Amino acid sequence: MKTGETILSVKGITKLFPGVVALDHVDFDLRVGEVHILVGENGAGKSTLSKCILGAYVPEQGTITLNGTKKSFKSPRDALKEGITAVYQEFTLIPYLSVAQNIFLNREYRKKNGLLDINRMEKESRELLKLINCEHLNVSSHAKDLTIAEQQMVEIAKALSFHPQIIIFDEPTATLSEREVGSLFEQIRKLRASGIGIIYISHKIQEFTQIGDRISVFRDGRKIATFGIHEKSTEEIVNMMVGRNISQVYQRNPNLYSGESLRVEGLCDYKEKVKHADLVVNKGEIVGLAGLVGAGRTELANLIFGIDRRKAGKVYLYGEEVLGKITPGKMVRRHIGFVCEDRKSKGLALKDSVAWNITAVSLRQLFPHGLIRYKKIKNVAESYRERLKIAVPTVQRPCKFLSGGNQQKVVLAKWLSAHVDILILDEPTRGIDMGAKMEIYELMNQLSLEGKSILLISSELPELIGMSDRIYVVHEGRIVHECKRGSAEFNAEDIGAMMLNVYQDAEGKAEWDE
Amino acid sequence: MNKQLSIKKWKIFKLPPVIYMLLCLVIIFSIATPQYLSFQNIKNILMQSSTLMILAFGQTLVVLTQGTDLSIGAQVSMVTVAWITLARKGVPLPVGAIIVLLLTSCVGIINGLLVAKGKMPPFIATFGMQNVINSFTLLLTAGAAVTYSSNIFLIITESSLFGIKAPVFIAAGIFAVTWVILNRTKFGMGIFGLGGNPEALALAGVNTVKVTVKAYAYAGLLAGVAGLLTACRVESGQPTAGAGLEFESIAATLLGGTSMREGRGNVTNTIFGVLLLSVVRNGLNVVGITAVYQSAIIGIIMLSAIIIDSLARQSQERN
Repeated sequence: MKTGETILSVKGITKLFPGVVALDHVDFDLRVGEVHILVGENGAGKSTLSKCILGAYVPEQGTITLNGTKKSFKSPRDALKEGITAVYQEFTLIPYLSVAQNIFLNREYRKKNGLLDINRMEKESRELLKLINCEHLNVSSHAKDLTIAEQQMVEIAKALSFHPQIIIFDEPTATLSEREVGSLFEQIRKLRASGIGIIYISHKIQEFTQIGDRISVFRDGRKIATFGIHEKSTEEIVNMMVGRNISQVYQRNPNLYSGESLRVEGLCDYKEKVKHADLVVNKGEIVGLAGLVGAGRTELANLIFGIDRRKAGKVYLYGEEVLGKITPGKMVRRHIGFVCEDRKSKGLALKDSVAWNITAVSLRQLFPHGLIRYKKIKNVAESYRERLKIAVPTVQRPCKFLSGGNQQKVVLAKWLSAHVDILILDEPTRGIDMGAKMEIYELMNQLSLEGKSILLISSELPELIGMSDRIYVVHEGRIVHECKRGSAEFNAEDIGAMMLNVYQDAEGKAEWDE
Repeated sequence: MNKQLSIKKWKIFKLPPVIYMLLCLVIIFSIATPQYLSFQNIKNILMQSSTLMILAFGQTLVVLTQGTDLSIGAQVSMVTVAWITLARKGVPLPVGAIIVLLLTSCVGIINGLLVAKGKMPPFIATFGMQNVINSFTLLLTAGAAVTYSSNIFLIITESSLFGIKAPVFIAAGIFAVTWVILNRTKFGMGIFGLGGNPEALALAGVNTVKVTVKAYAYAGLLAGVAGLLTACRVESGQPTAGAGLEFESIAATLLGGTSMREGRGNVTNTIFGVLLLSVVRNGLNVVGITAVYQSAIIGIIMLSAIIIDSLARQSQERN
């Protein structure tokens, strides 16, 4: 096949889940030798589409045509046989098997006596790794001894072992450092040049122009548009994703600040994910932490809140140093709240009721004598249900039945009921719909008006820039820049460059050297 | 060159702590009693540990799949009783041996199905099985030991090569087989996969139920072998012959550094785990410490071994 010919064409695909139309008559096509980017918010349908192509989901309607012939895949195996494979964000390697064993998992070579032919598997693995310039990897070492980037290369080698026509990359750079991203892109370009069609799912706007040829934007289960990568500006793409103008989404009215609330000096951890972090958050201020995934933002927040142990450094609250071991319990007693990234496993007790979750942190404050009265719990929960407009028929309902946005509101209510003064928000709007997002932004504004401080971690740059008064940029564990709202560099492009640590200031010289 | 050296050094430190503990204990005991390190005593230790060794190899496979098998001790008791009872009913010993091995393999298969298909926690499934088997054993014997005499028992327990007795060779042979299964077969890859990343294993199209069932069946088969050896040693069927062995085999497996969660571990280190337990018990006897204190000392040594192991791992991760 020649470059530019259509290899895969999807027509009118519809996929229903209980209560949701995940894909609504979507058309899509992929050409030989192109990188086609799928972009959209969580739940927009891009992952569902890729799973239909991979055979993991069977669509209710529509056709998938590969090389001119119609296919209906019943399982990933069917798709694999046709040369469609994927590299996932979460790795599928088995930690205590060797690289070679992982590559040939369930397609092992065996000797005549039925035992594994380790030599042959290792030899072919070396050849596959050589294709992607990773011949330095030891094919007999355990997968868990590799770095994340190396593991990803093994995943790619594994994908190549199927002689694929199409590879789907699902947010492959989510856990990579900048240098690793560079070499990943190099490999992807090579695959593209060898005539493989590549579908690339990503959230990171700054990646699109580096790697993509065409781009398809998804929203609410529909494909909004497909166009060449240089045909539209970043802002236009973002507007298409969110379905409205960004300036309407983010409304931030900075307040007059009166003194600092949180100060961190020289904070380091044992895993070397955070290196000498200094930061200040003032009363009534929203401070953003920008950085790539894996840059150390969550780790920094974990250190401040005492989830991880600090190696060195000091934390001050309202000018007073927190002495001794920092623990979450201690921080909660000092009115600090932490909305963590993983709402379902760490933020909520999913099987427990909304009321239980809302009062989980404030029980000691509500009932200083130790005996609990359920009526009071219910009343408190009801008041927050009204205030945050949590859509739930009764506060007795278990949280697992709530939508992502409403679950997040429960998490926020939990901290509000504990009367926190400083709130750390780690990806507070991940995976929730636009309406709930805007309500959360409104709440953040409200809190800051009351003089409360917010430390906001987000991977969505428009959100960070839209909501923060100041932004610290974290790169490989260090805070490398600080920018204030209103300054010249307070825009997506410059901050994006700072996150990659390639930012050059007005004089044109690198401001930070590694 | 320099770099290679440092990697080699690092590998020495990566040996499981159980080996260092074993060395320390051997040194302490041999200082306390000069005859401790005699050939005779070493032979004794190996002989005493052969049954537990065989059980622990099977247990290692099960633990690697994120499971535990609490029924293998009861299976040992059942095998001794069933084999002898069959013999008393006129079934030739070799035929009876095959029958009981099939029986314990089936018990293992049921365990595996309960865990993999029934989605029961391994602890509960195999604990239930333990109780069922114990009842069955008591039914067979009405609670008393059954005896039978045959020179086959003596041949199996007493024949020796270079002064080392047959059960030790049997354990060594089973070690070799288990090592090959774990490291050179598809089944072995499945076991590491079940422990380390079961979703990925299923995604690769591996039948995880089959792997689990095979692991428990193998543990059952080895429990059968261990039961036969026990019966040969005591020349009778004892309804409590295997009581407590399930926990000792788990302890030995964990002492060897096999993890109950991450699919980490290997059967070689299990040998050292078993030896640690045997060396302590034997040493305390040789030194002359009464049974009253023995349990406490063994318990403390086991706890400290596990704590040291977990501390060592934590510091490794931190570096």
